[in-house]
Parts: sequence; C-alpha cells; structure tokens
Amino acid sequence: MLKLMKRPHLILSCRTFYVTPKNNCEDEPIERLSCVEEKIGFIGDGNMAKAIFKGIVNKCLIQPNQVNVSSPYIKNLDVWKEMGACVSTDNAEIMEISDVVFLAVKPHILPEAIKNIEKSPHAANIKNKLFLSILAGYKISKLEKMLSCFEGARVVRLMPNTPMMVGAGCTAFCPGHGVTEHDLMIVRAILEATGICHRVPENIINAVGALSGGGPAFVYLMIEALSDGGVRMGMHRAMASKFAAQTVMGAAKMVLETNKHTGQLKDEVCSAGGTTIAGMHELERGRVRGSIMNAVEASAKRADQLGGQ
Amino acid sequence: MTSEGTKRFEELKIGFIGGGNMAKAIAGGIVKKGLLSYSQIYVSGPRMHSLESWQSQGANVYTDNGTVCEICDVIFLSVKPHILPEAMANICMNSRHKIRSKLFVSIIAGIKLEALENLFRSFDSCRIIRTMPNTPMMVGEGCTVYCPGEGATENDVKIVRTILEALGICYMVPESMIDAIGALAGSGPAFAYLMIEAMSDGGVKMGIPRAMATQFAAQTMLGAAKMVLESGKHTGALKDEVCSPGGTTITGVHALEKGGVRAAIMDAIECAATKSAELGRRHVS
Repeated sequence: MLKLMKRPHLILSCRTFYVTPKNNCEDEPIERLSCVEEKIGFIGDGNMAKAIFKGIVNKCLIQPNQVNVSSPYIKNLDVWKEMGACVSTDNAEIMEISDVVFLAVKPHILPEAIKNIEKSPHAANIKNKLFLSILAGYKISKLEKMLSCFEGARVVRLMPNTPMMVGAGCTAFCPGHGVTEHDLMIVRAILEATGICHRVPENIINAVGALSGGGPAFVYLMIEALSDGGVRMGMHRAMASKFAAQTVMGAAKMVLETNKHTGQLKDEVCSAGGTTIAGMHELERGRVRGSIMNAVEASAKRADQLGGQ
Repeated sequence: MTSEGTKRFEELKIGFIGGGNMAKAIAGGIVKKGLLSYSQIYVSGPRMHSLESWQSQGANVYTDNGTVCEICDVIFLSVKPHILPEAMANICMNSRHKIRSKLFVSIIAGIKLEALENLFRSFDSCRIIRTMPNTPMMVGEGCTVYCPGEGATENDVKIVRTILEALGICYMVPESMIDAIGALAGSGPAFAYLMIEAMSDGGVKMGIPRAMATQFAAQTMLGAAKMVLESGKHTGALKDEVCSPGGTTITGVHALEKGGVRAAIMDAIECAATKSAELGRRHVS
C-alpha cells in the first residue's frame, strides 16, 4: 500500500481507506482518498468549473480556501469568493500556486491563454502540475504538446457533467503520459465525491461527452415536455414539473439499482390494454428513439469537429 | 370507533388483493424502509404458484381474498381494473359480515372513488382512499397522489402518507386530477425507460460498450432530474446552461427538436390520460 503513495508526508494528514469497488468504476480494488490536501486551481470559471467546485466542497473533500480560480472578469468571480475560494485575474499565478489545475476555458481560448502564461514571470515555477482538462473535444496529445513547456506536467482528460453540483455527476476520464497512481487517486476522489466515474480509452471520450456531458440538456427537454403534457391535461405547472422530474429520477434509479434491462422494466409497467402502453405507442409513432439516437450522434460528431482540427 | 385507530403503525397488518408488480413494489418499499416485516404482509391471488416470490420473502399468501380482508387492518386493492368485480365477489362470498372497520387503499387505474364506495357500501365502517402510485417506489423514489373517500379519517390519511412517504413523494389531490397525474407519474417511468434505452443505443452506436452506455444514460437522467428538483431553476434555463455557443450539446438539442420529441412526449401523456379515463368508465359503473 505504501508504494502507491508518492508523497509520504501526506500519509500523516490524509486518511485513506480501502473501499469495495462500486460497479461504476474499474474492477480492480483501488485505494480511495477521503480528503485531498493538494491545492486545486481552476483556469476559467464557467458553469462546469462551478459545478465541480460546488460538488467537492459540499462533500467536504477539500476546504474552499484550497481552491484558487482565475478569470479575466473579476466580477464573475463573486460567486466563488462567496463560497470561500481565492480569486485572481492572473492565470499564471493560479497555475503556480496550485498542485492540481483544472483547464476550464472554452477550447478556442486555451492556446492564447497558455502562451500568455508561458511568458509570465510565474512560468518558471510551474512544475510537476497535474492538469485536468474539461475542454470538449481537446485531445490529450494536443494538450501534452501545449503544456510541454511546463516541466513535469501530466494531463488527465475529463468529460464531466453539471449534475456534479447535486452529487449525481457522471464523468469519464482518460490519463495521458506519466500520470501516476496518486494522480489517479486524486482524480477518482474528486469525481466520486460528485457522482460516478469511469476510466475510458480516449477514442470514445467524445461519444461519452455526447451522452453524459450533453445528455442533461436532452433530459431537461424531455422533463419539460412531460410537464407540458401534464399541464395540457389539467395539472398545475409546479406540480407537473415536480412530478415529471421525480418520475424520471425514479425510473433512472430503477435502471441503476435493479440491474434489469430497460425493455424489461418498461414491460413491467405496461399492463395489457392499459394506459401506459397506449402512451408508449405515441412515443414510437413519434420516432422518439431515433431522434434521441440522432441527438447523441450529432453531438459526438460535433465534438470530433471541434477537437480534431 | 375504528380498531386500527388505536394501533401503532408498527403493529398493523397490511394486505394486498392481487400480488402483481405494483403490489410487490409497495410491499418491497415498506419492508426495505424497515416500517414492517414481510410477516406482517398478507397477499391473495387466484393462483398460489404466482405468489411464490411473495412466499419466499416471508409474506403470508392466500387464494381467498376474504381471509386477507378479515385479518388485515389496511388492504390494498391491487388487481387489474377488469378483475375488480370478480375479486369483490370472492371477498363477499365467505367474509362479507366479518369485514368491518377496514381501510381500503385502491391503486387501480381509472376506477373512481364513487364506484369503489358503491362496492364497499354494504361493508360495516369501511373507508376508501384512492391512490395513483408508480413502480420506482421500489427504490425509494416513488411519486404518488392520493384522494381520500368520504368516510376516510385523519388517521387513515396518516397511515397512507406514512407508507407513501417512505417510498418517495406524495400529494393529496382532487380526484379530477388523478387521470392526468396517472399518465405522468404512473406511466412516466416506462417513457423514461424508452428514453434511457435510446440514449444508450446512441452511445453504443458511437462506440461505447453497452453496460457503460446504459449506466451513463441512466446516471445522466438521474442527475438531470435531481438538478431540476434541487436547483429551483426552470428546465429551459438549466438546458441553456449546458449549451455553449456552437457546441456539442446544442447540436444534439437541435436533433431532438427536428424530431418533434417534445410533441411526441406530450402526445404520450395525453393518450395515457385519456385511456385512463376510458378504462374507468368501462369497467365499473
């Protein structure tokens, strides 16, 4: 067990424990961290970065003041400040003081941001950092090339999603070259504090992004439509929305916990000549399955377009 | 004076007339939450062999509905709508005079309170509460509405709420809303399973192994639903927050809109609600 710990001084302050592997991560037993001592930096302060920050703070994985965030507009950072993070407009400064750095800017902004950091006086001290990239479509090889100016840099590519904010996130991750066991322990601790995670080969990460990264938006659309249907049939909006969301949440939990096939679960709700099968027929008539597949496909292909240039 | 009014919840005996999936979900949820044990659960059905799974859990099984009604304090009516007359006949056959001061809880789609009260009018001091539950009760995330009948007491409502809240959320509603809600919360899970399967199929098409695709699809749906319930934000606003300009998600959303998914989902709710009303009219006058 000791050989997995590359930073011995952390053994004293960080409780570690073995957890029987949940069936949402790899099969081999993996040591889990219950707290993370490293300083966490966010370059970019958008919705996803906020979701990750809120998730790890809510689960008490870190103290808010371990978090440093930078953004060009200091006004945007009020929310972070209120939650206890340290804020700055200087990307390079944040990168220097953090051990683990989330790259959370829009893809087209990253090259220039890195160039500016390279030129900064802080650049010489940016060594041995673990970079966690949440940029959609951005390949590991491209990131490694871009970050090669920083000595000892390791990259893990992540595909997270915003429900991390409520502890029900869904993230895929893919380590680059030189990523250590301890790095992966940190990544898993962060991701499992906020939901489930899976290590994946890079060639399917865009597909996962279409499914779990963009998927929430598809589900919001479906929940809104269910709510509209309820209102159409006489329910009050507030109740219709609450019931639509609760119903869908319950169904998803059934899939996750019963290990039954979705088709079988559907069969169990559809009594002969009943109300549910009548409704199902409308969904099939409306080719909903095909449209949802189209959505996942189109989204994955767009990710390839964005990152593959 | 009702005899079970003086009993504590833990002392109650709960019966099920009809042992199908929904009854299993309710009984399973009650036991999982530690409210009662299977030894306090009674179920009856026409064929003993279809009650085997109940028996193996420790529930008391019968082929005689009347016996279950005699023994239990609270009895769930969980047969299919068209079976109800036959089930009632079976109850009345031997036990009509022995069944008094019971609370009947109906989970039968479409059968109105008035019709149920007519059926039980000749029973001494029996009260009815009509509910529309759903199967995710089995995993503690059910969504149920209930509507108390004329004679139902505060204690009756308290018992029903205790059961339903152990299994998810519940609301009291006027009976006029039950068909619409049944379509949404009762049938909704099936619609959601279709959507999860389609998301998983999309993932598999793009190269994700099936088990991971299904798990991610389900977790994504769970997370999104939780965001709606906990963030207090409008579904449209939440959708906007995921859709970056020119990004991957808005491209996917466009595909859903092109496919008319919203309208198809509304059609499904409309159709299920209309069917529910139709079933109610057809089976019991």
